[in-house]
Amino acid sequence: MSAEATPIPAHLGSELLLWLWWTSERLEGRFDLPAPAGTVDLWVDDRLAFRPPGDTKVTAVLTGENPAHTLEARAALAGGKVVQDLRIGLRRDDREFSVTLRGAGLDLVGLKLPQVLSESPDEAVVDRMFLYEEVVLVVAGIVERFAEARAAASWSRETVPAIRAWLRGREAG
Amino acid sequence: MGLWKGAVTARRYRVVGQVPQGWREAWRERLDAMAFREPTGTTGKEELEGWVQIHNLLDTSFSRMDRWLYDPFAVFALRVDKKTLPAKLFSATVEKRCEAWCAERGTEKVPAAVKREIKEQLEEEWLARALPRVTLVEVSWNVRDGWALVGTTSEKACDRVRTRFHRTFGLELQPWSPLDFVEDAGTRSSLVASGPSAFGGEA
Repeated sequence: MSAEATPIPAHLGSELLLWLWWTSERLEGRFDLPAPAGTVDLWVDDRLAFRPPGDTKVTAVLTGENPAHTLEARAALAGGKVVQDLRIGLRRDDREFSVTLRGAGLDLVGLKLPQVLSESPDEAVVDRMFLYEEVVLVVAGIVERFAEARAAASWSRETVPAIRAWLRGREAG
Repeated sequence: MGLWKGAVTARRYRVVGQVPQGWREAWRERLDAMAFREPTGTTGKEELEGWVQIHNLLDTSFSRMDRWLYDPFAVFALRVDKKTLPAKLFSATVEKRCEAWCAERGTEKVPAAVKREIKEQLEEEWLARALPRVTLVEVSWNVRDGWALVGTTSEKACDRVRTRFHRTFGLELQPWSPLDFVEDAGTRSSLVASGPSAFGGEA
């Protein structure tokens, strides 16, 4: 980890969320992340929000079952909107989580943790904090994978055209 | 935020600064010193803030470490009280009192100074019996690893917590960035320098 925090440009945050959505479909939800995160199952869950590029206000929110495959999601992307919120489901070993990744800072919003069976409130707090950190670990792995892809020479040559084709495919339905 | 149960919404910060030897005792004293204090007299519209235990917002003592220190986590909450008055009802009542003042004196207009006095008196009366709106923001600080969660994504509330945290512990809560997870400095720099990709995004 670097000594100083490096603010993430807004466009990189939305690109990461779009890349994550695309990758989750391409890999059919199976991610091999750098250690210590390891292998996780990841899927787009029940909430997506879009905003116009260069703006911070959300202008389209899709909820319900499988919003990633709706006409509205396609229309938002086709209309040039970018992803602001992506709610994802995660499974690591036998633990399942659900969380919204929000904005360029990837704030973790509405994170649902697995049930903890602690005997006392203080144990519950500690257990839940360790589960929270497990999700942070996965997010760190996702960011690492995205950074590798984004900084690679193949990003402009292969990845962007592939995502563009995927978007066109979604438009075509 | 949901430290105990329910969904967690939080912003993650690094804690920057030197944690002293014997920090447990030091943090206990500082939390107590900056804890929420119930006002002794009538309060106005000013905001009152201070640390409370996460268990109950009326628990403002940190003398028992087992109530807030769950190694390696220190957990507490910032309580902010603010009294507000119902604006429309307040204006209407001021108008009625002004009308009554005019009727008593057989005049048609209330001098500005008198109207101000009527307003101030009514505000004082109402604030004396109004209950505050109370907000709580939980903080969970991993003292060992140097990070903290602030249980909100509101900029204003986060800034308030950061300010009080600094005043209390002399340590800074520095916003966490996803790029902190990119180990390679060269990759980090090239990402920051990169422009938007052309797939209908932020171009």
